[in-house]
Amino acid sequence: MLKCAMSGGQVKVFGKAIQALSRISDELWLDPSGKGLALRSVNSCQSAYGCVLFSPVFFQHYQWSTSVKMNENENDVTLSLNCKLGMKDLIPEFKCINSMFRILKNCRLFSRATACKVLNPKFCYDTDLTKSVYSEMSVGSDEFDFFHIEVDTEITFCFKELKGMLIFSEATHAPVSIHFDFPGKPMALSIDDMLLEANFILATLADEPSRASSPQSLCLSQKRKRSDLIQSNSKAGESVSNESLECILRKAAPRSLYPNEMHTSISSLENYSSPVMKRANGDISKVPENSVSNTEEVPASTPLRKVKEKKNLMEVMRNNFILSDIRKQPPLPRKPGFVVE
Amino acid sequence: MKFRAKIVDGACLNHFTRVSNMIAKLAKTSTLRISPDKLNFILSDKLANGGVSMWCELDQKNFFSEFQMEGVSAENNEIYLELTSENLSRALKTAQNARALKIKLTNKHFPCLTISVELLSVSSSSRIVTHDIPVKVIPRKLWKDLQEPVVPDPDVSIYLPVLKTMKSVVEKMKNISNHLIIEANLSGALNLKIETELVCVTTHFKDLANPPLVSESTSQDRNPEQMAEVHIDIRKLLQFLAGQQVNPTRALCNIVNNKMVHFDLLHEDVSLQYFIPALS
Repeated sequence: MLKCAMSGGQVKVFGKAIQALSRISDELWLDPSGKGLALRSVNSCQSAYGCVLFSPVFFQHYQWSTSVKMNENENDVTLSLNCKLGMKDLIPEFKCINSMFRILKNCRLFSRATACKVLNPKFCYDTDLTKSVYSEMSVGSDEFDFFHIEVDTEITFCFKELKGMLIFSEATHAPVSIHFDFPGKPMALSIDDMLLEANFILATLADEPSRASSPQSLCLSQKRKRSDLIQSNSKAGESVSNESLECILRKAAPRSLYPNEMHTSISSLENYSSPVMKRANGDISKVPENSVSNTEEVPASTPLRKVKEKKNLMEVMRNNFILSDIRKQPPLPRKPGFVVE
Repeated sequence: MKFRAKIVDGACLNHFTRVSNMIAKLAKTSTLRISPDKLNFILSDKLANGGVSMWCELDQKNFFSEFQMEGVSAENNEIYLELTSENLSRALKTAQNARALKIKLTNKHFPCLTISVELLSVSSSSRIVTHDIPVKVIPRKLWKDLQEPVVPDPDVSIYLPVLKTMKSVVEKMKNISNHLIIEANLSGALNLKIETELVCVTTHFKDLANPPLVSESTSQDRNPEQMAEVHIDIRKLLQFLAGQQVNPTRALCNIVNNKMVHFDLLHEDVSLQYFIPALS
């Protein structure tokens, strides 16, 4: 049984997490445990995965027990409480003002909700190249808390899923770290905070379908049709201008400052074509000196600070980095897990 | 052919954005005409539009701090571009708090209108977002179809009531019938009528103003109580009203009996003319 309570501000963050995950899938998995309440979603073609773990201290009140007996209205539940919800039922709940609500029959979440905004961007593939708008945004390395690129990279991924994560990070006011590697390897965005931990893993398009992608990498090859479409769009993008679609995503600025323009700019990009090509121009020379070193070894005054620095990396992602991250999370129940074999 | 323009003033940028939003609501595809002094958004009365036409004009000096253009030739110093209206309004939407906005005619494998937005960023350096909007250059031989429409002498000219009110009335009427009769007289009365087999609904607007009679046309001898009417497709009227997010500075309605209704609006310094033909 799970019983937790949130204040208005907490509901807002919780609601944003749900909205971010709703961009990945229509189904949300609720996974409460002693470590906290994890919300997870995976999309149908397994190219995107999101997980937000709210620690017990996030909530005003968090009570979790593995008791079998629920109240008279519920069915018996098994020891581990894993619940799957439809997003459609959840999202309107978070729009209610000052209302008590019930999430699902096996788990009660009581709260007084304040209004949350729901964003529903249209997500469309524009196949007519002469009608598509090409948008491009460059962000300098100095805009990042930490900027470390080892290799010039250009990756293509789904914008819709990313936007959810960015909106969520705006609500949490926490820095976001972005890790990526060459095309085909997944891209990871993470927030690591005292109160919550969020990880969003997005597949990126492999450069050519013929290129043998390593077993450990995720790519959109499962959804062949879609990847062909994205491929053709991105190829056309390449031929359109010299700079092609060049967009370096930024991460959140220092905690309380998250410029509105970023959000607007991202909306502008999101409105147009679905794939966003991201190229890191290794402006290594401009990277501040202190960022080049391996920050994991940087001594920090407090453990908290060390964690923060580690997470403020935007670095070339190693295969095993991503794998270990996924392994840290408990496997998804009753679904073929988001497994990177 | 060359075109470059720049907006640095926030109010001008917002105004230009509002104009583009309005055009996006009125016409899916529109023609942008660039001349040394003016910008026009044009929708010509082709069959595809159902006979509706639009002419929107703004004085470039009221918006742009820099404006340079070179038309097709010296004698024809104009540029006509066809574009998807929504592309422009969406691009401008990203420029809400921009430091500067640049518009340029470019050729990136095909002609584009490149919108370049300079945004402020936290680290005090600028961030540039660019949008390449594909456009079609309209050849000179087709320009004759895109000229300013001649406004015929109306039978009745009347100032419109608050557009929001009109819009909500028309929205409800649309549920009953697609056939709307709009009629007005020179005594400040305007009626919107729906007639079906089962029901008739009329909304009366009274005490509206009529502009002073200018020409020595037959309207001088006209009985002020006599209504001039036009039967139109209600959806076209609704689309027009939906495009007016803000109540205009001036809104005039000209009715040519059984022929067409002509709306002449002024949004601050931007003029909009919209023509809806009578149902045949």
